[in-house]
Parts: sequence; structure tokens; C-alpha cells
Amino acid sequence: MHVLIINGSPRVKKYSNTNAILEKFTEGLCENGTTFEQYEISDKNSWDQIRQSYDRNTIILVALPLYVESIPGLLIEFLETLTPKSDGSKMVFLLQGGFMEGVQLRCGEACLKIIADKLGCEYMGTLVKGDNFCIRFFEGEWRENITGAYADMGREFAAHGNFNSKACKKFTGPETIPFFVRIHVGHILNTQAKTGFEQMAAVLDCNKPLDYKPY
Amino acid sequence: MILIVNTTADTSVTDELKKRMSECTTDFEVIEAESLKISHCIGCNYCWLKTPGECTIKDDYEMILKKVVHADQMWVVSDTALGFIDHKGKNVYDRMIPALTMYLKFYKGQLRHVPRYQKLPDIGLIYLGSADKAFLKRWNERAALNFMRKSLGVFERDELKEAVSCMC
Ligand SMILES: Cc1cc2nc3c(=O)[nH]c(=O)nc-3n(C[C@H](O)[C@H](O)[C@H](O)COP(=O)(O)O)c2cc1C
Repeated sequence: MHVLIINGSPRVKKYSNTNAILEKFTEGLCENGTTFEQYEISDKNSWDQIRQSYDRNTIILVALPLYVESIPGLLIEFLETLTPKSDGSKMVFLLQGGFMEGVQLRCGEACLKIIADKLGCEYMGTLVKGDNFCIRFFEGEWRENITGAYADMGREFAAHGNFNSKACKKFTGPETIPFFVRIHVGHILNTQAKTGFEQMAAVLDCNKPLDYKPY
Repeated sequence: MILIVNTTADTSVTDELKKRMSECTTDFEVIEAESLKISHCIGCNYCWLKTPGECTIKDDYEMILKKVVHADQMWVVSDTALGFIDHKGKNVYDRMIPALTMYLKFYKGQLRHVPRYQKLPDIGLIYLGSADKAFLKRWNERAALNFMRKSLGVFERDELKEAVSCMC
């Protein structure tokens, strides 16, 4: 099996969480001989090349960050330029977001199914996972803690050619956070998480409070 | 104040809206954005962590954002693509992110970013062409929820009367 992988993140490859996830995913994907080619939407110079690869390939995986409950504007701009297919191509998606609950990504997931239909491709499912915001700020073992498990999902995809297996569904984690856990997490968000965000800002030389109102 | 951002080239829509709203007592402002320079969001996160509230991309969206954060309602007029709104319409939503802060809290049982301003606008969508309307309704509700606001509804080109009844 050969897979065309499109990283649909508008963020440059170096800082893209989707790319960090794909690095692990493709490790698992390729273990038993599956091959892939990968392109980044963020590099507009490669759009012609991606289009040619889309025309040539029949297994297309679009990996993307959730942007305001659906797909990033830049990825729509690219997809608008594609010609719908009629060669039995299959489309799968890896949808990842910042918020941790599965329910946050369901609307975006529904959008992807519609898009696959419009592009004349058979929809083969979406791997859905939140809680990825911090990847770009972490390195080494910390990063591996978030991204490592995607290698298993690469193996799952190589084995089934879709994201419909039980293991893939389970990978999303809890749909919502139970009430009592919310109280606990809410407290952390007001204390440690706030400090953590302020530290991230300090690293970027931010000299204003994070709730500053410029307008 | 009601802000209407038309990302399409079809100004007959906004002409009709203006006409229908002439008896409306609320202030409104129409921005013809099709000819403006509005980039996509590049996901740099600077609006949350480096220059809080300000987008690093200095294009025509800056002037729109300044109005968005003080509006009671925002209406986006958009073309469609692939069953959804097209990239120009979506960019207007994606670029609203500076109106939120990095901080998180639970709202209606789900995580949300804490709004930067006291009250962000409710959001309505008017679309031209064909799309999956049931999905657009679901999506616009979720999008508005992101800003802790509500959806004013999703309307087609021939439903401007209904849309205006949600404005006045
Ligand atoms: C404009 C914008 C909108 C976003 N909207 C959402 C959202 O609605 N829900 C969510 O869970 N995460 C949202 N995110 C967070 C990203 O999906 C998340 O940080 C992702 O890991 C970024 O991946 P990337 O680095 O490959 O772009 C948003 C990020 C940006 C920049």
C-alpha cells in the first residue's frame, strides 16, 4: 500500500503539531512495507505537486488541526482547487485539536465526511484526538509522551486501510470530562496552567498581560 | 452594533440587506471584504502568547477585528465550497482567535478559551450557492460557542428577510 499524506496545517512544518504527530504515525505505518509521500499545505510552492500526487494516488490521508470547529481556511483554499475524482480513491483523515475532549472534534469530523463525498472519494473514517496544543512547546520525552501512541495508529491503518477499528475509536479518549473531574481540572486551569501559559509567553518575550485588551 | 462582513463579490446581497434594515433602529455597518486583503490564520499563536490580542498579520483584517470585539452581532456573508463555506468566509472566523485569551475554563461542561473582551458578538451566517445547510447550522452553533456566544442562524440567499428579522 502507498499512501499520499497531506499535512493540512497552516503552520510551517517545523512548528506543526500535525507534523510531529505524523512523524510517529508514519513510523508505525511503514513497519510492514507500506510506503508514503508527504506534503505540507503551509508550503504554497508545493501545491502543484500535491495536486499531481492527488490525481495519481488512490489512498489519500489528510492530517489536520481543528480550526474553529472545522478545517483551516488555508486547507479549504487548497481543496477548492482539486478536481473531484472518479477512480475509486479512498480518503481518510487524522483530525487533531487543542481541547482535550472528544466531543470538541465531532463537528469537524462531520465536515470531513462531507468533503470526501464532494471530492468523489470513498470516506474511510477519521482518527480523532484532542489535547495536542502543547506538542510544539515540548521536546524529547515530553513530546514523545503525547505523540508516541500515534505509532500504534499507523500500524492500525496499515493493517485495515481505515480508521474504523475499535482501537482507533478508543484512541480518542473520553468524549467529555465528568463533573467531579471538571472541578479538579478547573482548579488546575486557574492556577498551574495559568502560570504555565505565562511562562510560555515569557519565553516569547511577551511584555503584556495575557488578557490585555488592545482595542 | 451589527457588523456585516461580505466576503463575496456579490454586493446585491448587502444592498438588499441595507434596504431591508433601513427601518431598523440598531446601528449597522457593512464591510465589503471581497476586495480587501485578508490572509488565512497561520497558527503562530502570537495573539495569545506574544502580542496578546493582536494578530501578527498586518492586513485588512485588523480593522475588522477592532469592530468585531465591540459588536453585538456579526454576520458573515460567504460563498460555499465542498458543501461548506469557502476559504474567504472561513478565514474571517479563523482570524477571530485574538478575541480570545490563552486562558481556559469550562463553559457549559466543555473547555473554552476565556474571551478577551466582556462580550463578543453573536454570529450569523448567510451563504450563496449550495452547501449542506444542516451541517452549516450545527457548525455555526459550535463556532459561536467557541466565543461563548450563540448562533443567530444560517440563511440562504433567498432568506434575507428571515435573516434581517434576527437583526432588528
Ligand atoms: C485559528 C485556530 C483555531 C483553532 N480552533 C480550535 C478548535 O475549535 N478546537 C480545538 O480543539 N482546537 C483548536 N485549535 C488548536 C489547534 O487545533 C491545535 O493547537 C493543533 O494541535 C495545531 O496543530 P498544527 O501545529 O499542526 O497546526 C485552533 C488553533 C488555531 C490557530
